[in-house]
Amino acid sequence: MFDQVEDAVERLTRHLRRAVRIDPALDDRVMRAITALPAPGRATWLGEMWRWLRSPHQLTVTPLGGLAAAAAVAVVVVLIRMDSKPPAPHYEESRAFQFVLVAPRATRVSLVGDFNDWDAGRTPMRRTGTEALWTAVVPLVPGRYHYAFFVDGSRWLADPSAPVARDEDYGAPSSVLTVGGGGS
Amino acid sequence: MTPAVSRSALPLLAAMLVAGRAAGQQTDPRLERLDAATRPAVAALVDSAGRALLPTEPLVQRALEGATKRASGELIVAAVRRFAVELGHARDALGSTASPAELSAGAAALRAGASPTVLARLRQARREPLTMPLAVLADLVASGVPVDSAAAAVLALAARGRDADLVEFRRAVERDIALGAPPAAATAAAATAADMRVNAGARQQRPGRP
Repeated sequence: MFDQVEDAVERLTRHLRRAVRIDPALDDRVMRAITALPAPGRATWLGEMWRWLRSPHQLTVTPLGGLAAAAAVAVVVVLIRMDSKPPAPHYEESRAFQFVLVAPRATRVSLVGDFNDWDAGRTPMRRTGTEALWTAVVPLVPGRYHYAFFVDGSRWLADPSAPVARDEDYGAPSSVLTVGGGGS
Repeated sequence: MTPAVSRSALPLLAAMLVAGRAAGQQTDPRLERLDAATRPAVAALVDSAGRALLPTEPLVQRALEGATKRASGELIVAAVRRFAVELGHARDALGSTASPAELSAGAAALRAGASPTVLARLRQARREPLTMPLAVLADLVASGVPVDSAAAAVLALAARGRDADLVEFRRAVERDIALGAPPAAATAAAATAADMRVNAGARQQRPGRP
């Protein structure tokens, strides 16, 4: 009985000690199989998400939470509306322009135009010297401006040194100043 | 959301959306200078222009000009409407990338009599801003220069000249017209002089050439 067991152990040992021939392509096959497997973490996450989205849920929201959500939606809508408006103008560098009018009899002259909202009180001209020279300096960015001189609160004068605005719509004279952009 | 919360939140959301929309349509406070009958009409035109992605500031200024010059409400509304249409035509000719200044100058050129084709050709001919070429074109046509002569001269000069060259060209034409020269002849002479000046400038910028 004991000899039989010993013999069996001997045969088993011989079997385990024999050289095993391994297929040289085994490594490649194993690695291909591993690569083909889906990434376990990602598949689980997506699967969980998909299951969560497909299954019905009941959300409980406080009135304050609902108010905050409504406000957030309103803010998003307003922001989208703002984005759909024309792009804001580029902030181009302004240059100072001097406007001059010779008006010996005038007691008060204002410069009004597209650059000051046609507000007669915003850019009063200064009388300089004894030659009744009225001047004002205004910074302007590139663009095309209509303007005129408003004399003594009642009379409109175009600038005699500038092109006349032929696209004037209101019957009172205006002049045109074009401020160039690059290369001027 | 629970049904109770939905019932309370949805009207609130709707109210906030309406408020946001109303805020977006708020009238420019500067238009308060217009009378009560004119203001909403002008505000609607300005709002429409804004929705069409046209510049609104030139329209506001045109309305304010009318208010300061004590024009009637009808005249102001008509002027703003016409200007908005012209800005749209200028944008059609110059492309959607045109700046507000270019559109204003383009609208003036169109009103003076230049064709949309000329505006489009100017866009193709010049990479720099078109404000000055368009303004010079409008000023020349307004001074009595035939549209074709003015357009040909400005197109030729705009392709290579700077804004300063265009300004000098316009001054020369206006000076010669004031001295009695026929507008077309004054334009041709000034264009030739401007072309020589631009060519001379280009030669000076090329190193190693006489």
